[in-house]
Amino acid sequence: MGMIDVEGLWYTYPNVPEPALKDINLQINSGEFILLTGPSGCGKTTFCRCLNGLIPHFYNGEIKGDITVDGLHTRDHPTYELAKHVGLIFQNPDNQIFSLTVEKDIAFGLENLGLPKGRMVEEIDWAMDRVGIASLRERGTHELSGGQKQRLTIASVLAMHPGIIVMDEPTAYLDPMGAERIFNILHTLNEEQGITIILIEHRMDLAVKYCNRIIVFDKGQVVSDGSPRDIFTADETRLIGVGIPRMVELGRRLRQNGVKIDIPLDSTEAFNNLAPYFKGSRPAKTRNDLPDLNGVAGEYSHSPIIQLRNLAYTYYTGVNALRGVTLDINRGEYVAVMGENGAGKTTMVKHFNGLLRPKEGKVIVDGEDIAKQSVATMARKVGLVFQNSDDQLFAEDVEEEISFALRNFGYSEEVTRERVNWALNLLDIERYKKSSPFILSGGERKRVALASVLAWNPDVLILDEPTVGQDYGQKERLKHFLLQLRTQGKTVVIVTHDVEFVAESQPRIVLMAQGKIVADGPAKKIMTDAKDLETCSVAPPEVTKLFSKLNKFGFPGDVLGVDEALDLITRKLKGATA
Amino acid sequence: MSLLEGLRFTKGDSPLHRMDPRVKFLMTMIIFTLSILFLDLIPLMIVFTLQIPIVIYGRIWREWLKTLKGGAVLAVIIFSTNLLSFYFFRGMTLSGDTIEYSLSLTLRFLSLITSFSLFFLTTSPDKLSLALEKAKVPYEFNFAFITAIRFVPVLADEAQTIMDAQRSRGLELDRGGFLSRIRKYIPILLPLIINSIRRSLELAEAMESRAFGATKDRTNLYELKMARSDYVALIIIIAALIIALYARLYLSPFPKVISGILFA
Repeated sequence: MGMIDVEGLWYTYPNVPEPALKDINLQINSGEFILLTGPSGCGKTTFCRCLNGLIPHFYNGEIKGDITVDGLHTRDHPTYELAKHVGLIFQNPDNQIFSLTVEKDIAFGLENLGLPKGRMVEEIDWAMDRVGIASLRERGTHELSGGQKQRLTIASVLAMHPGIIVMDEPTAYLDPMGAERIFNILHTLNEEQGITIILIEHRMDLAVKYCNRIIVFDKGQVVSDGSPRDIFTADETRLIGVGIPRMVELGRRLRQNGVKIDIPLDSTEAFNNLAPYFKGSRPAKTRNDLPDLNGVAGEYSHSPIIQLRNLAYTYYTGVNALRGVTLDINRGEYVAVMGENGAGKTTMVKHFNGLLRPKEGKVIVDGEDIAKQSVATMARKVGLVFQNSDDQLFAEDVEEEISFALRNFGYSEEVTRERVNWALNLLDIERYKKSSPFILSGGERKRVALASVLAWNPDVLILDEPTVGQDYGQKERLKHFLLQLRTQGKTVVIVTHDVEFVAESQPRIVLMAQGKIVADGPAKKIMTDAKDLETCSVAPPEVTKLFSKLNKFGFPGDVLGVDEALDLITRKLKGATA
Repeated sequence: MSLLEGLRFTKGDSPLHRMDPRVKFLMTMIIFTLSILFLDLIPLMIVFTLQIPIVIYGRIWREWLKTLKGGAVLAVIIFSTNLLSFYFFRGMTLSGDTIEYSLSLTLRFLSLITSFSLFFLTTSPDKLSLALEKAKVPYEFNFAFITAIRFVPVLADEAQTIMDAQRSRGLELDRGGFLSRIRKYIPILLPLIINSIRRSLELAEAMESRAFGATKDRTNLYELKMARSDYVALIIIIAALIIALYARLYLSPFPKVISGILFA
């Protein structure tokens, strides 16, 4: 059970000239926990579709080579037969939950297999227990939170007792702790049930400690395959643009600086490897030698551009999304809104341009109460880029897409053309000017969506979950781009779960839970407050976890980025030897 | 749209919720038939009033009142158009009988929506689909039915998000003439359609991955079993039908309320 053998696999989608998979040779053994990674469009997802026979049975196209799963040749066995061996779980839980109640959805596969009722109930109980959703048995599937839905999708394939579970970016939409919970479930299934796990993931920092093998895809080929330590220290991996976990990065650079430590994978390992060097060190007596925690993150003026006063909002369903939020965002500030799923983050930012109207309280933008302003008027000042670019792209070509808003705002043809060219340039997408937005890749579509908002040059830019589904390279580009906007004096607000992304750019952080602001302040202050973070279901970045432990050796506890960490550790070591 | 609210299942637990959907459907159909069968105020009042204990039995009176409220406008329209058409086409006079006839038609309408509320408010779509399955409706149809219900809230959310995204880009849906307003829906409909196509592809993939179509003898987690209370209900319903038929055939014409009793 749980074995996969791939020999000389080539696959080309119908009507596409370039093969999506080129000469894949792999052997996956029972009980492995594998991380599949690589830049967007590298063939990871296509490979997973081959594993349960969706390719070639559901997708046509041209397939060469052999895949056998537990001895079954995928070409000769239909997907419904392979489904008993390989449980394939897709990225968006909503598109794989068919039923109205939790238990009925878990039953779906079993009903298809024709199991008698008694057996079905047993399997459902067992699967629900494994993923911790037993209390949700009769709950309606539409009432579940994102994390619960994802756990349901695991239970649904688990009930069919596959030897292999394949998950395509299961945590993309989850808050950090929700993501951790999913990884823990997979880890337990791997350890206790011996199920082979194959996981596609971009969030390396979270996932790396669970896996024992990493396979890197690039341009349809397997470019490296080995233990996490080998893969992340190899230069090829870096060159392809796979994100390196922060602790590996730190370890590597320490070694370059002459510190001979073993490369750690996570903060616990890093601490264990570093601790011997600092044995004699004492904890700092006072925190006076630490950087000023109350200092503001970055430079900005102190004139507020967005002011919320006691804002409350209730959806027609009766959900109290916001319960008294008061917040000032200053001109030129860079703010990250973080917190658990359903904390009211998106609801809050939808008030900034008037999409939602406060049920109670006030929203003041640029000195004016927005109560009487139309969305179209507000949008000129406050540009809002939505999470999923597919929810807004519609035009025939990219140029048309970007000029849409400019026309709505009544700019002249000439100005429109000028602004479109400016935006195309800014985001480096001129070459797609005449292409349909629908043929572009996910990352490119995201840039078009961003350009279509930036085109009218709003003072405030709000980005909802800009890093979801983005690979390492795309995230780096986004990070630099946001910095660039800040130097132009723009106010930037991002709503995000991506702790590591935030740790590197260090914005002001607004932490939310249950419709309220729990904490608000510079990244260094917020990211070191374990209690508030936990309330909001946010896990601190790896570097911070390490330094909260190194604290007892006299290190400051509020370190977020790799650069700063490296600097502090090297200096301390030099001081110790000098 | 509170009239349609009355057709939306709300989770609850009552003897009516637990009643076998087939028996419940028969009950609804019989109440429906009775409402059509009679045109006089007295029997229609009886049919209507008899439903009230069932509503209470099902603990859905709150939802039912909402439905009635939603139907009130339509009820007023039915009453007044009938009354006016009698007035204009029957010699410009208003008699007690014409008022009574209009009242009967209105009550018939209320009776009909109550009967449907009784069924839909207390029958989960899963049970409904189970009843369809027992009625030998092909599973594919059943699956489509459940999926449609499952994705109504998902699609509604998505439509809202798309609308928000385009309004954030300056789209003003409520401005301009009729034609330009229609044109303005293109930026909303296109992403919605494209997303739906993508979604259906993903759904199909996910179904395949969960062994859809593995065997012709598909089983079902839920089973329908007639309880003793269902048989009792069945007997009561059939008895009511027989009594009503007897009344319709042998007791009519019924006395008029307004001209026959109140002002006799």
